[in-house]
Order: sequence, then C-alpha cells, then structure tokens
Amino acid sequence: MTLTPQILRALEGIVGPAGLVVSREGLLTYECDMHTFYKGAPEAVALPVSTEQVAAIVRLCRREHVPIVPRGSGTGLIGGAMAPVGGVMVSTTRMNRILELDFPNRCATVQPGLINLWLSQATREHGYFFAPDPSSQMVSSIGGNASTNAGGPHCLKYGITVNHVLGLEVVTGAGELVRLGGKAHERPGYDLTGVMVGAEGTLGLVTAVTVRLTHVPEGVKTILASFSTIEDASEAVSAIIRAGIIPAALEMLDEVVIRAIEEGVGAGYPKGAGAVLLIELDGPAAEIEAQSAPIEAICRDHLALEIRVAQSEAERALLWKGRKEAAGVFGRLTPNWLLQDAVVPRSKLPQIMKELLAIAARHRLVIANVFHAGDGNLHPLICYDDRVPGELERAKQANEELLGACLRLGGSVTGEHGVGLDKSGSLSMQFAAADLNFMARLRRTFDPDSIMNPGKLLPSHPACGEGFRPAVRPLPAGTWI
Amino acid sequence: MAVGAPALHEALGDIAGREHLLRDPAALADHAVDGLTPAAVIRPGSADEVSRVLGLCAAERLALVVRGSGTALALGNPPRRLDLVLDTSRLRTVRDYVPEDMVATVDAGVTLDALATHLAPHRQMLALDPPGGGSRSVGGVLATHASGSFRFRYGTGRDLLLGVRFVQADGTLTWGGAKVVKSVTGYDVPKLMVGSLGTLGVLVEATLRLHPVPPASRSWRLGFGSAAAARAFLAALLDSTLQPDRAALLDDGGLRRAGLAPDAVVLLIGVSSAPEAVESQGQALERLARAHQGRAEILADSAWRSLGAAAAGPVLLRVAAEPSRLLDWVTAAQSAAARLGVGVSVLAQPGHGVVQVSLWAASNPARIGPELIVPLRRAVEAEGGSLVVERAPTELKGSCEVWGSIDREILAITTRIKMEFDPDGLLAPGRFVGGL
Repeated sequence: MTLTPQILRALEGIVGPAGLVVSREGLLTYECDMHTFYKGAPEAVALPVSTEQVAAIVRLCRREHVPIVPRGSGTGLIGGAMAPVGGVMVSTTRMNRILELDFPNRCATVQPGLINLWLSQATREHGYFFAPDPSSQMVSSIGGNASTNAGGPHCLKYGITVNHVLGLEVVTGAGELVRLGGKAHERPGYDLTGVMVGAEGTLGLVTAVTVRLTHVPEGVKTILASFSTIEDASEAVSAIIRAGIIPAALEMLDEVVIRAIEEGVGAGYPKGAGAVLLIELDGPAAEIEAQSAPIEAICRDHLALEIRVAQSEAERALLWKGRKEAAGVFGRLTPNWLLQDAVVPRSKLPQIMKELLAIAARHRLVIANVFHAGDGNLHPLICYDDRVPGELERAKQANEELLGACLRLGGSVTGEHGVGLDKSGSLSMQFAAADLNFMARLRRTFDPDSIMNPGKLLPSHPACGEGFRPAVRPLPAGTWI
Repeated sequence: MAVGAPALHEALGDIAGREHLLRDPAALADHAVDGLTPAAVIRPGSADEVSRVLGLCAAERLALVVRGSGTALALGNPPRRLDLVLDTSRLRTVRDYVPEDMVATVDAGVTLDALATHLAPHRQMLALDPPGGGSRSVGGVLATHASGSFRFRYGTGRDLLLGVRFVQADGTLTWGGAKVVKSVTGYDVPKLMVGSLGTLGVLVEATLRLHPVPPASRSWRLGFGSAAAARAFLAALLDSTLQPDRAALLDDGGLRRAGLAPDAVVLLIGVSSAPEAVESQGQALERLARAHQGRAEILADSAWRSLGAAAAGPVLLRVAAEPSRLLDWVTAAQSAAARLGVGVSVLAQPGHGVVQVSLWAASNPARIGPELIVPLRRAVEAEGGSLVVERAPTELKGSCEVWGSIDREILAITTRIKMEFDPDGLLAPGRFVGGL
C-alpha cells in the first residue's frame, strides 16, 4: 500500500518534521531488525515524543487503515520491528525518559524507549536494579523488552520481563488509551498487563512501563567450569538443578563459541575446552558460600577440567562480557548463520545436545552453542556460507529438524526472543488449530481492524512480506543473544 | 429444552455417569451460589467430559458456575442466572511430573495438599499457600488468583502457571502456554486465565513451575507496639539485602483468630536457605527488628497454616494498594470497623500492599456497605488501589459493588474479550467486573 500525501501531512502535523522519516535512505535504516533475512521498509517512520502523539498516530492510522509497526531499538532477532506490508513504523527512541523512581514502592515508571541498562545505572546507587538482563541490555529498550517479554541470563533466578512489569500505559489497536496495572500489585479484572507483555506490538503500542525494581543482593560469586565435552557440561547442569540449587545464572558455551570469543573480545575462557559453564550465585553471602561448594563438587563429579572463581569485579565483568557479546564475534566463524531459541525441559539437555551433534554431522554443518542452560533455553547457531550452493538449504533443514526434536521432547519454539515473522509459521508445530484460533480472536479484541504489526506473532496467509531472503551482508555489527 | 427436562438430565448423566449428576434438593442447596440454587450439579471425570458438558450447555443455553473445593465461591457478583454447577473435584490426576524439570502438570481438581504429598518425596513444592488451606483445588486457586505468605518470594499463580488447558464456552478444549519454564510462543494465555473466575473457560489442567524445598527454614514472629514502628521496620526490611521467602502481617484481631498470642501488629517472617544462611539471616532479622523496637521470637512452622482463620470472617474485604501504604490501610480499616462497632481481623501481604480485612459481627449490618466499604474504597481508589469484596452475604453485595469501579476503557476491552469468548453469557454470567 502507499501512504497518500494527505496521510504524510497528517503524520507530520502530529510529530513535526523532525519526528518523521520519509526519505528512501532514511527508511532503509528501518527495514529490518537484527534478523536481517527479513526485510521490509516502512513507508514512513514516526518518532513521537509523547503518549498523546502516539495516540494521535494510532487514531490516524486506524481511520486510514494503515498498518502500524512498533520499534524500540531494533535489536530483536525475529523479524519483528520491520514492515513486511509497509505502513507507518512508530519508533520509541525519542521517548526515553525515566518518569518516576519510587524506591519506597520498589518500582519505576519509564518511557518505552529507555535503554534497559540505564534504569539499573540510575537505581544502583540507591541499592536497586532492573532484573531482566537480555544480552542486548546496553542498547535494547524497556518497551521492546516488554513487547517481546525478553529474558536474559539472570531470569533463571529472577524471572523474565513479565514477572517485573507491574503496569503499562498502552494505546490499543482500537485507539483506546489505557493504564493497565500500576503500582498496586493486583487489580480486579483480567490481567491485561500480562496479556500485553510479549504481544510484540500486535495489540497496541506501549507508551509507559511501570516495572519492579529489585534490591541489589548482598553478594555475588561467578564460577567458570570447563569440560572436555558438551555432554559432560550438560549432565552437570541437570545435576545442579536436580540438587535443588537454582543459581542466578547458568550459561553454557561450547568450543566453537569459546574460540570465537577468545579471538574476538578475549574474556579469559580456557581455550581448547569442549564446553564452559558460567555459573553465578547471588544473594546473602552465607547462602552463596553454602551453595557454591556443592556446585563445585557436582562439576568435579562430571569431570570438570578446571573450576575457577572470579576473584574480582573486573574478572567477573570480563567473564560476562564474553558471554553477552558472544554473538557479535560470530563473524569470525561464519559468513552466515541461522539462530534458534527453542526450549527443552531442562532434564532433556544432555539428550538434545546429542541430537544436535548428530544433526550437525548429518548436514555437514557447524552448529555453535551459547545458551541459557539452566532454563533449557537453547541458542544453536547454525553456521553456513550462502556462497556455497546448497548450504543454506542444509542449514534450513537442520534448523527444522532441531526444532522438531525440541518439540518432541516437550519443549517450546521460542524461549525469549519471540515469534515475529520468523517463527509465526512454526507455531502450528506447538499449538493446535483451536489454540491458535483462541489467540487470533484475542488479538481481534484489541485490534479489530488488524492494523497492529500485521503478519507477526501468529500464522497468517503467506502473502505477507517478502519472506525468507538471505542477506548478502554477512552479519549485523554487534548482535546479542 | 428446559433445565428441568428429563431428556437434558439424561444427556448430562450420559456424559459424566448418573452417579455424578446430583439432583436431590439437599445437595443442590449445598451448591447454591449467592442464594441461587442450580437445577443440577455435575462432576465430570475428565477434560473430555467437561468439553461435552459445555457443548451441551452451549446448545441448550445453560448458565454454569465452576466449583473447585468451594472455598472461594463467595467471590463475585451474584450470578445473573444459574442452571448448572460444574464441580471439578473428580479431575484429580497428577498428569506429569518430572522432578528434574521442576514442573508438574495436574488436573484442575487436584488439591494443594494432594500435590504437596506428591512432590514431598522429591523435596519440591508448589509455592502457593492461600488462606483456605491445602484442601483448595489448583484450578480454584488459579481462577481466583489466590495467594498467601509465599508470595513474598515466589509470587502468585500469575508467576507459577506455565501452561493451561481449558474448555471454552462452546466446548472447545484449548491449550495455552508451554510445559517448559521459559516460553514466549504466542500470547500469554495462562496470564489471561489466572483470576478470570471461570468467565472465559473452565480450567481443566495446569502446568506449574515448582521450587525446591530449601534445606533449612525458620520462622520469626516480630511484634510491634504500634503501626508506626511496624511500618518503619517493614520499610527497612524491604530496603535490605535480607531475602525472606514468606511474610504475613496480622493485627491483634487476626492474631487472636489465628490462635496466636495477641499484640498490636505482628509480622511473621520465614527464611529458607542453607542452614548457615538461615542462621545468619535470622540474626540480621532480629537485629533489624530490635532496632525498630520490635520483639523477635521464633515461630513454630505450623503457625503459617493457621493464618487462614484471620481471613475467615463472614465479610472479607481485599484492599490492594501501593505496597508502602500497607500499614496505613490496615489502620484505616481498623478505625472504620471500630466506628461501626464491627469486630475486625487483618491478614496482610507485606511487600505487596494487599490487606485482607475480615469483618465479624455488627450491631447493624446494613451500615457496613454504605458506611464502611464505600468510603474506604473511595479512599483506596483515589490512590490508584482497589477494594474487592471477597466474601459477603448476598444482601451486602447488593448494597455495594463487589469489584469497585473499573476504568471505562479497561471495561470496554474486558467486555469485548468476554463477548468474544462467551457471547451468550453462559460462563458465570454477571459474576465478574462490570457485571460481565
């Protein structure tokens, strides 16, 4: 579809000339998120500065039947913040203020474009932080985190974004400006806040978020354990959980990833190890001490090569830097890759790792692994070179087989990245038609005219978007998983 | 077909078995909801049977209310009409439990006690301990969003329900969520179902996040001579690095009802961890209490199970407000009750701003609605909170809104959702917010 000059003028009237991008070069910046396969530039990008402007944009687009695509920082990995059928993209980057810090109620209200890490930085001196920590947290926005219900390494202990969202201000697809939830922890009626978090902008646009703040723990201890094989490391993970210990974070990195990180950012991971577990404990100091001994014993029982405890905050920060910037260094390994986010029940980790190795061997591909092992949330990175004929097809086949294997073990298609355009077709592997139908009808109650982020989150007719198209550019600079 | 029609009863009996269709007047009277007596009570034995019952209800336009253990049936407006009570107590199978995953999938009628017994050998638990106790059903606890002292660390059903199977008003068996601890695949349907009071579907199965039972735990009773001292202590506790796992606050009336020694205000705090961490946190907790003129004593673990008595009054109000205002609302409720000469007991959730106020007896019950509930609610709502009448005689419900005021736009969305999934108003019609 095409935006008429009248619509563009109306948009400019709402956000002003400085808040509207319409040039071809300008729009190209917005044609994809970090999943660069899916491209679709919007016809205009509006950068509102207030809730009122957002509401006016939605009213306009509703009247004119123009699709709206929300975008935070564009660090998503699912083909979410891109416009497969054109329309208006609404970017929250100019709505990035902290509206209120309320320490007595242990919460903060922020605009959606606020960068995740900024909130923790603003509250740490008061003894608080914002617990959801997606690896992209230094650039991703809290509105985006809420819309995708983002996870992160520490959600093993602290829960994912939805567990930290107390309230939302939203403009629904039906044009209503509503305040859902708030500082009070419960409220009569349906949990519309819970429905809106993770809805990927298909129900409405988030204009403010009230989030829980978590008290900084008394102590923290980061342990690195290396193993000769990923199977040993997987068994150790299952044994730790089985022992009734839930660390703050329990991350796995395999040999390929360790090598790439060491050549890239250099985090001090042991080269040559088959797998590394990054285990973090936090909480009361006595609890950390009591839990770290059995964890180290379990690692030794599972033939750990080395167990190292970070001796300083600098060393701890370096270990995490390696993990959080892992995906950014993959350019050293492979020109192209497919990334997955499937989940398996955590007891099935050793089994899925065996299957993964078999799938990689069968398709003659390298599959690198860096993931949230404690949750069973995999991030297999299927490496391929699209200059080699047939390799992309093999990678896609391996991707499908791996997804199928995860679901057969009782897992889920996506643990924290979300659905977007990328996985909308995979939902039918996990849900029956009745389940999808329920979700589609729920969507309609918020967005009766189907203008909100069309083509995303749920399976739809195949005419949507330009679909799966390999990018020529190998890698986005800096990607976080 | 009329509700009393023999053919209809036969059809219902065919689905669940004659012995699971109750029709004798005494049994029906026992299952009355706000004075409305159903024409029949059915106890389906499987999700499939629930689906067929609802299919029949849809075809015959029968209105139904779901009953779990019956503990929280008082919640909600009186139903607009009632033909059938669907009792979930025969849905009581633990479907799937892999201890290593710390996830269990159970039928909606499984009681908290039955589940606890199932999990105990593996030293795991479902961290939900709402007033009303272990005889409550998992489905009922979720549908009413009930919670207790474990909320302090583990949250509520909202945080613990991973996946849900339910039957829609037209009989369609539907699944939402996942069976793993982390999933963002599609909308978070479990969140929609928690607290929906059987108005969108009948919960038949829940997949729940479990937690390990920590190796050691100890509980303290911290007594304070005044609300002000308790308020200062609570603020300091929440702003500390201490990590209790459960908490409750009771007033003098609440303590007496729960069979505990009286005091002005008492905080009960539980700490669970490794033994040495329980020890050191306990010392820190006692020091903090003393610094706020509190008296710290060790509390027997069994005391937690008696707290429901503090919230068992014939009238139960639920105030939810900003957490920092907890003690102020406790005091406000106490004074409002005192003004009317009503006996009162308070059970509250520190850190979450939820106060359950039980009213026990009044010289003039007709004044409770207009002179206590309405003004207290007005004050709470003015600060962005809510006051729900969780339990009350039907006459009292008539004199004040059960749910309080709902924002106009939110009511519009809520109405669209209800109309989409229950257009004929068969699932607990009238019981929910806005008379939906």
